[in-house]
Amino acid sequence: MPTIRLENLVKRYGAVEVLHGIELDMAEHEFTVLVGPSGCGKSTTLRMLAGLETVSDGEIYMDDRPISGLDPKDRDIAMVFQDYALYPHMNVARNMSFSLRLQKTPQATIDKKVGEVAEMLGLSPFLGRKPGELSGGQRQRVAMGRALCRDASTFLFDEPLSNLDAKLRGQMRAELALMRQNVKKNMIYVTHDQIEAMTLADRIVVMHGGHIQQQGTPSELFKNPVNRFVAGFLGSPPMNFLEADLVEENGALHAKGDGFSIRLPNDLATRARNKAVHKATLGLRPSDLEYTPDAPVDQSLDLNVVVSEYIGAQSVLICGCGDAKVTVELKSETPIALGETLRFAVRPEGLHLFDTKTEVAL
Amino acid sequence: MADTNYERQNPAFYALIALLVFMSIGPVLLLLINSLKLDVDITSGAGGLLFMPTIRNYETALCDILWYEPEHLRFCTIRFGGAFVNSLIIALISTALTLIFGCMAAYALVRFKFMGRDSLSLSTLAVRMIPPAVLLVPVFGLWNNSFCLDNDYGVGAWIRDTFGGRGDVCLAGTHSGIILVYVAMNLPFVIWILQSFIVQVPKSLEEAARVDGAGPFQVFFLVVLPLIKPGLAAASIFTFRIAWNEYLLASALADRDTMTVPILIVNNASEFDGLGTILATGMLLAIPPILFTLFASRQIITGMTAGAVKG
Repeated sequence: MPTIRLENLVKRYGAVEVLHGIELDMAEHEFTVLVGPSGCGKSTTLRMLAGLETVSDGEIYMDDRPISGLDPKDRDIAMVFQDYALYPHMNVARNMSFSLRLQKTPQATIDKKVGEVAEMLGLSPFLGRKPGELSGGQRQRVAMGRALCRDASTFLFDEPLSNLDAKLRGQMRAELALMRQNVKKNMIYVTHDQIEAMTLADRIVVMHGGHIQQQGTPSELFKNPVNRFVAGFLGSPPMNFLEADLVEENGALHAKGDGFSIRLPNDLATRARNKAVHKATLGLRPSDLEYTPDAPVDQSLDLNVVVSEYIGAQSVLICGCGDAKVTVELKSETPIALGETLRFAVRPEGLHLFDTKTEVAL
Repeated sequence: MADTNYERQNPAFYALIALLVFMSIGPVLLLLINSLKLDVDITSGAGGLLFMPTIRNYETALCDILWYEPEHLRFCTIRFGGAFVNSLIIALISTALTLIFGCMAAYALVRFKFMGRDSLSLSTLAVRMIPPAVLLVPVFGLWNNSFCLDNDYGVGAWIRDTFGGRGDVCLAGTHSGIILVYVAMNLPFVIWILQSFIVQVPKSLEEAARVDGAGPFQVFFLVVLPLIKPGLAAASIFTFRIAWNEYLLASALADRDTMTVPILIVNNASEFDGLGTILATGMLLAIPPILFTLFASRQIITGMTAGAVKG
C-alpha cells in the first residue's frame, strides 16, 4: 500500500481560497480521519485526493509519485459517497461489480469477488435487488461493498454514515471498525462527527477554516489539544471555557475569574510565566470536574446547578459559574438538587490553559 | 386508496370520460370502418354500420408492394409502398439522429461549463420559434443550389462518368436532405426536454462512476443514458410524429423517389379512384405512429433514479 503525502495543497474557487496549504503525511494502512465543522475544507481535500476537484496549487504524492494530474480512475482509489451514489438501474451485484466490469475482468473472477464482499457485508440475499428496494443501511453497505470490490489501495469515505439514523450509525460504525481490522488498506475518512473520528481513527486530522489545526492519535488530541478550537471540538459534552486573569498569589500562579480562583499546577504555571501571558482561557472537560464538598477552594469551582440532564448511568449538569455556563458530567447516583451551589474539585491534569488573544494552548 | 377513490366518483365524471374517449377514438373508428367499405357504400349514406367489409381499398393503396395483382385494378397508379418506406426511413433515421445529437448536446449544456453556455441554451429554443414556412424558401434554395457535389471533379465527376447524367448531386430530393432538415427542426426541442431530465441525474452518480474507473463516454453511456430513458422515449415520440406527419418541407424537398406518405396522399388525391382508397391510405399512415408511441411509452417509467442517493 502506498504512502500518501499532501504537499502545500491549495484550493481556490475564483478569488476565494478555501484550502490554505494543507501538509499531511499518511502512513501505510493508516486510518486517517479528517474532522471539522462544515465548510472547513475536509470534503474538498478528500475530493481533491479522489481527483473530483482540481488542485489549484501544491501536489499530492502517492509513494512519491505526483498524482494531481491523473484522472480519478488512474489513482488506485475507491470512494464511498455521503449520499451512497448507487447506480439505480443496476442491481446490487452489478453495482458492486461495475468497476470490475469496466476493467474487463473475467466473469468468474467478478462473481467470486462479489460473492466474497457480499458475504462479508451480509448482502448475499440482496444481490438481485435494485437500490430502490433496499433500506438505508443496506444501501450504505452496498456503497461500501462497491468500494471493497475494487481492490484499490486507498479507500476514501466522505461522511458515509451521516445519512443514517443514530442507532444504525452506531452499528455501522462498529462494522466499519471491524472491517478496518480485516481490510489492510489505506483509509481516509471525512466526518463532522467527532465520535466517529475518535472511535475509528489511527490518526485524527482536525481542520478548521481551510487549515489543519492539529493531527495525532485520538488520545493525543484529546489530552493535549494545541488550541482552543481543537479542545472545544473533540470530546462530548464539549470542554468548558472560562475567562480568567493570571495573577501571582502566595508564590503561586492563580487563574482568577468570575467566582473562582484556581491554583495552577507548577508546569502549567511555568509555561504561562515564560510566555508572559496575563489573560487566559481556562479549559475544563466536564469529566474532569468531580463533586467533592470538602475540596480546597483553590482547586475547585463552586457551581450553581441549573439543569440536570439524565442520560442513564451518567448525568450532565449545566451549572452557572458567575456569568458563564459550565457543564459537568457525573454518575447519576450522586445526590444533586437543582438550585444548590455545590463544590466541584478540578482534576489538576485536566486543566488546560489557552492564551485568550491567540487561542493557542499554553 | 385508489379503490375507494374510484367508487366515490360522480356519474358525470364517467360521462365526461366516455365523451373524451369517443372524441379521441371516434374519428379513427370512422376512418377504419369507411376504409373497409366500397365507394358506393361510403357515398350512398345508407347503412352506416351494415355493410360487407372489403379489403379492396387496401389492395388499391398497396398495389405496388403486393405479391399478386388485385383483380379490380388495371394499373397500379399509387406508389404507396415506396412512399411508406421513404416515410419510415426518414422518420426513423431523423429520430435516431436527433436523439443521439440531442442527448449529447443536452448533457454538455447541463454538465460542462463553457463560455456562452446560457445563451446557447436559450438560442436553441429560439430556433424552434421560427415557423417552418420561413425556413422553406432558404432551405429549398440552399438544398438545390449550394449543397451540391460539383460535376467538374471529384465524386460528382465520378458519378457523371459512371452513371451518366449531369452528375451533380444536390441535397434536395435525397433522403439525407429531408432528414437533415428534420433533425435541425427537432433538435432544439429535444435538447430542451432532455436537459430537464439530465439535471435530475445526481452528480455524485457520475463522480462515483469516474472513481470506479469510467471514462467520460462510459459515464455518459453506462450511467447517464439509462437514467434518462424516459426522457429519450418522450423525445422520440415527439420527433417521430413530427417527422412522420410533416408536409410542408417534405413537399418542397422530396422528389418522385423520395416522397413521403403525406405528400403522396395530397399529390395523388385526384388520381385515386375514390374516397375509400384515401381512407385506407390514411389508416395505414396512422399505424406506425401508434405502434411507435405504444412501444416508446412503455419506456416512460417514473422514478428511474429511486434509491440512487439518499435525501
